[in-house]
Amino acid sequence: MLRFIQILSYGLLNGALYGLVALGLSLVFGVMNYLMVAHGGLIMLAAYTTFWAFFYTHIDPFLFILVVTPLFFIIGWILFKILFQSLMRFPEGEKIKNSLLISFGLLLIFSNLAILFWTADERAVTTVYSGKVLDVFGVRLPYIGLGGVAIAMIVIIALHFFLTRTYFGKAIRAVSLDHEAATLMGINVNKVCLVAFSIGFALAGIPGVITSLQAFNPAISFDLTNKALIVLILAGVGSIKGVLIGGFFLGAIEAAGVYLVGTPYREVFGLILFVLILMFRPQGLAGKRA
Amino acid sequence: MLEVRQVDVHYGDIQALWNVSFRVEDGEIVSLIGSNGAGKTTVLKTISGILSLTKGSVTIGGIRSDTIKAYQIVEHGVSLVPEGRRLFRDMTVLENLELGGYIARSRLNKDENLRWIFQMFPVLQQRIHQLAGTLSGGEQQMLAIARGLMSEPKLLLVDELSLGLAPLIVKHIYMTLKEINRSKKMTILIVEQNVRLALEISDRGYIIENGRITGEGKGSELLKSDKVKTAYLAMG
Repeated sequence: MLRFIQILSYGLLNGALYGLVALGLSLVFGVMNYLMVAHGGLIMLAAYTTFWAFFYTHIDPFLFILVVTPLFFIIGWILFKILFQSLMRFPEGEKIKNSLLISFGLLLIFSNLAILFWTADERAVTTVYSGKVLDVFGVRLPYIGLGGVAIAMIVIIALHFFLTRTYFGKAIRAVSLDHEAATLMGINVNKVCLVAFSIGFALAGIPGVITSLQAFNPAISFDLTNKALIVLILAGVGSIKGVLIGGFFLGAIEAAGVYLVGTPYREVFGLILFVLILMFRPQGLAGKRA
Repeated sequence: MLEVRQVDVHYGDIQALWNVSFRVEDGEIVSLIGSNGAGKTTVLKTISGILSLTKGSVTIGGIRSDTIKAYQIVEHGVSLVPEGRRLFRDMTVLENLELGGYIARSRLNKDENLRWIFQMFPVLQQRIHQLAGTLSGGEQQMLAIARGLMSEPKLLLVDELSLGLAPLIVKHIYMTLKEINRSKKMTILIVEQNVRLALEISDRGYIIENGRITGEGKGSELLKSDKVKTAYLAMG
């Protein structure tokens, strides 16, 4: 029983990270129908940026969130202008296909650049609290994982408040529902999409920093994109609150897989879940039928 | 207030408007009547900048509006209540109204405008935290108009508000529009298939057929004219 609770709590700690990983992808997909599969690549790059910055400064990596997030916001801004703005005028289906092609290309470029700069070796930022655990009735909870959960909660709640309480946040939601009606309200749809896209990039910075505290290499970009897509399907498109729940759910399912079958099959359970959801509940677990 | 001069509009290769010219004076209610596919909605979309014209000009309050971006037209005092209402269905009534008053100028007067709107449409106040998609058809149309009014327009464009609504509700909404026109001196351009109703509350009307303006006159005169009687009122 203790072993099960231990595995499950690891799963849930991972799940919070999965939620964070999917957050930016979900926002961008919801607002402009761009399927940004390069998201995992961005997170991987953010992890390397953190690793590299830590190597030279030895400042606490969690503090790098304050640097990496704005940096990725700017990168998102530039890439939108160069690569993604021209897709805006396409009809919905074309947007998905074309953004998928471009961002898949980006994903390949990102992971190969990372191999070029940092080699394919496993890296990890090692801090004083790496490997330290909190013992709760015999269940061991790593501090880094707990930090990840706390940050995931804060970020998702902050994003939720931004989207529901500010004029600009409401404009983002309005654009995600109806571009033309939003224009009629005097909303600059192009600008809203540019900012939402850049926020999506900024949101890759945060899980990137957390990822850097565990072992990582350039190939994780594909795994992370996978996780993000599974969580996106679980949560239902455009649901920000659903993303955290979807993340926890994926984490729990993986934990169950590890408990019942074994660690090597962890990824398989997520993918089986992905297929099952698409077959039986394509609107997502929390989503409404269109 | 509004002057449309010799406007052509194309959808790709297909021409939808031919040399359309008409004007709406300050404080008037003008209706644009015509059958399905005549180009009424195209005219409104062109004025509000969603569609761009291939020839001619649109002038609003003395300023050329066809050269500025669609989202900036609202700041020039024009608000379109679109056909089919186009509410933000997954957002609340209040959020829809707030988005109606998105531009900087009207954000300042949000509370005042809300009070005014709830006076006219008390039912919206009762539904304030309900999702727009859960309102009844009539309530949705009221919300669509209220959302259009939140930007404090000088010119309100209303597209087919009677679509799919019970006649009594339509009448009530039109009376409210007439009241707004009177009390706020708001200029209103109505596009409507329900010709009798539209002409009854309008000062003037234009007839549009196959993308061309084919007639104009005072609302009451048009109602009596043989052309309108035979073509639109089925009284021939």
